[in-house]
Amino acid sequence: MKPVVLRSIGVAAIVTTAATIWLGLWVTPPDKVQGDLVRLVYIHPPIAWCALYLAFGLAALSSLLYLWRRTRSMFWDRLAASAVEVGVVFNALTLVTGSIWGRPTWGVWWTWDARLTSTALLLVLFLGYMALRRVPAEPEVRAKRCAVAALFAFVDVPIVHFSVVWWQTLHQGATVLNANLSPTIHGSMAWTLLLGFVAITLAFIWMVAVRYRIEVLRDEIGEEELEVSLAERRAESGTVEAGFASAEATPTMALQPRPEPAGHPGPTVVS
Amino acid sequence: MSYVDAGYIIAFSVLFLYVVSLLVRRRRLERAVANVAPRGDAVQPSASQDGTP
Repeated sequence: MKPVVLRSIGVAAIVTTAATIWLGLWVTPPDKVQGDLVRLVYIHPPIAWCALYLAFGLAALSSLLYLWRRTRSMFWDRLAASAVEVGVVFNALTLVTGSIWGRPTWGVWWTWDARLTSTALLLVLFLGYMALRRVPAEPEVRAKRCAVAALFAFVDVPIVHFSVVWWQTLHQGATVLNANLSPTIHGSMAWTLLLGFVAITLAFIWMVAVRYRIEVLRDEIGEEELEVSLAERRAESGTVEAGFASAEATPTMALQPRPEPAGHPGPTVVS
Repeated sequence: MSYVDAGYIIAFSVLFLYVVSLLVRRRRLERAVANVAPRGDAVQPSASQDGTP
């Protein structure tokens, strides 16, 4: 991504995030049922959207494209790694903001509800993916291994999404992406939530782009260091070989017995 | 402090810290790449003098 585009996305993310905070905390009215707690809804669903659907969806898609021979490229592996790391941060924030909303609403910080538990499991699975990336291996082996792990972990995403439908949960159903696709949220609240989605999505894109650059630089430095150490090793072995070669050039001299000084009595044989 | 304030502060502080960590890591790696490149150039001629590829 070009630096100008990346910078523009970053600036747009900052502006829209500031607008979301301003609208969410000071402009929109409190909810009839939830009161001021509705203000947490302007950030919690957008963060969850980025974690579950954008980050882990992108990671699964990239992993699939890596595993498919026709599209296999380290680009997809790096993109998956970048999306997963950012996704893990957003996933953890999803759990934290949800917990802060749940304490005054449900009376508990945590409950073993299907939506909460499957989301926590998702975090653990993708933390496992990150741990797997740190296991030393050839880049291709690591990429293949991690791609399989990402696809395995992604199976939990539809479970998280449909958990509120499949099981009776404390967590409410979808407000915007419901079955009828008719948002059950009104006026300024809907616009603020939409702006929240835009802001967090822009921030997500910026983070993944920067994280991808880090992955490229890391590979670059790895390759360069490898080349330097190989060159150093070759230089060293070249010097040693040269030493061996000079020694081999005069083998008889090296093996000849030392000339005895004149007048030496010679070896004494003791019988 | 209300739950709402706590939620906003925690969420945006974590995101801010993560952004800072990304920028620091990127800067550090860019410097490292810039340092490694000349070192690599310096070593390669001595290796080629020996006729090694």
